[in-house]
Amino acid sequence: MKKAIGDNMIPKEWGFEKGLALVKQSGFDGIELWLGDVPWFQMGTADSEVRELRRKVENAGLVVSNVSTGLHWASPLSARDPKVRALAVRIVEREIETAVLLGTDAILLVAGLVTPEVPYNEVYQRCLEALRPLGEKAARAGVRIGCENCNAEQRFLISPREFWQFLNDVNSPAVGIHLDVGNIHDTGFAEQWIEIHGPRITRIHLKDVMTKRGRCGDQSVYTNLFLGDNNWPAIRGAMTKVGYDGWLVAEMEARYRYAPDQQFYDTAHAMDRLISGRF
Amino acid sequence: MSITRRQFLGYATGAVTAGLPRLLPLDPTSRRCVLLDWNEHGCFRESVSGYESALTSAGAQWMRADARWMSPSRCAVLIVSAALEIPPPAIRAITSCLQTGASVIIESGAGFATDREFRAHRVVLRDYLQVHIEEPVDLWPDNSSQRIPYVDYTWPRPAKVRDFSRVVPLGRQAGEVIGWVEGLPVAFKRPGGRGNLIFLGSPLGPALWAGDAEARRWLLDCLGAAGGERV
Repeated sequence: MKKAIGDNMIPKEWGFEKGLALVKQSGFDGIELWLGDVPWFQMGTADSEVRELRRKVENAGLVVSNVSTGLHWASPLSARDPKVRALAVRIVEREIETAVLLGTDAILLVAGLVTPEVPYNEVYQRCLEALRPLGEKAARAGVRIGCENCNAEQRFLISPREFWQFLNDVNSPAVGIHLDVGNIHDTGFAEQWIEIHGPRITRIHLKDVMTKRGRCGDQSVYTNLFLGDNNWPAIRGAMTKVGYDGWLVAEMEARYRYAPDQQFYDTAHAMDRLISGRF
Repeated sequence: MSITRRQFLGYATGAVTAGLPRLLPLDPTSRRCVLLDWNEHGCFRESVSGYESALTSAGAQWMRADARWMSPSRCAVLIVSAALEIPPPAIRAITSCLQTGASVIIESGAGFATDREFRAHRVVLRDYLQVHIEEPVDLWPDNSSQRIPYVDYTWPRPAKVRDFSRVVPLGRQAGEVIGWVEGLPVAFKRPGGRGNLIFLGSPLGPALWAGDAEARRWLLDCLGAAGGERV
């Protein structure tokens, strides 16, 4: 397995190249690029500029693990407004295009948002209708779309079987799950999600979660690896069971208040322990 | 769309004289319900899909007709789903169906329209069908509603159907209001020609598409009540 971390973890004042140097020095193999979340990688970033990002990544001795985006929180595929949906589709298309330019084969997508206004059944249907053609597009590009499980925030596809059925309904080998083992909270067990989805897992996001603490206002339930309630030996065992040997991507929500670079070193070391199974 | 009556008549006449084929001749004995399909011009593809799904699962006799090329012909019920830009052939089909005694259900798709699209939509409804509508209203202005703004239908049976975020309220006009949401009149029925016109200012199709059983029951009852009889 290889280790990556998101470029949105790079302190904004550092800039991309200094951040890449830190990512490399702290022991990571790759970097996850977040479309729309960082100044150097926006929807308006031209192809030539994207190629330049790849050059910088490779010059730093890294590769791009995958392309992600948080843009779908504001513009979801499940929106009722057709114009918002069209933008959401365009965001996915741009992720696919940039994944190809960056030399990676996976993108992350927050598939849909259930809200008081837009109910579950509509969200489900709209996501299916959007993902079927997007899956074809991704397959042609040699890219896999990983729908992230954002259980608490999306209120959508809460259980692993629901997610399994959803992927069955999409029925595209190019559409799988970008599994975040921290997002399951106390609605289940990450190791079971891994067992159930196995080969459909495109990437794994790592963070720990405090399941006994509710998300309230700005209070985060997420924490660094091994500080929360995830059963890491069980998670590691499930990865072995299903033969997952792909990218592990650190996604720390809580940030160090001081010495932010230290979080990169600590996270990389924790990931090494996880990979080696030394608990 | 911004057209005058003169332009409309000219367009319609031109289309006929240009020899456009009658792509979908309707046989009233075998096809009682016709669903206008806007194809890529529709604002809510899912609305058309919703009606398709509901009609099929109910075993209704229905067919789809292209809204741009539909020939006016006889049918018992014509469903115009998620209408926004209503091209002249569709208007011609609507008026023809009404004149021959059919019921026409027009579902406005203008809730998410731009100002320009809405103005054109309103003009066409007013000038050709004498349907008066008001500016769209956002039922979820700050996403903080504590209750769901269901559309309450009173005819042909009482029914509560999920809102679709924005509605096109009715202006003052002849007819019986059959649907309300948040105190706003959003659906009416009235005789038109020898038939009946039913106007929905809140899309029903997406609820049908999402499998809302109450919406499906309401539609089927509506079709039953409106299928060729005076309502």
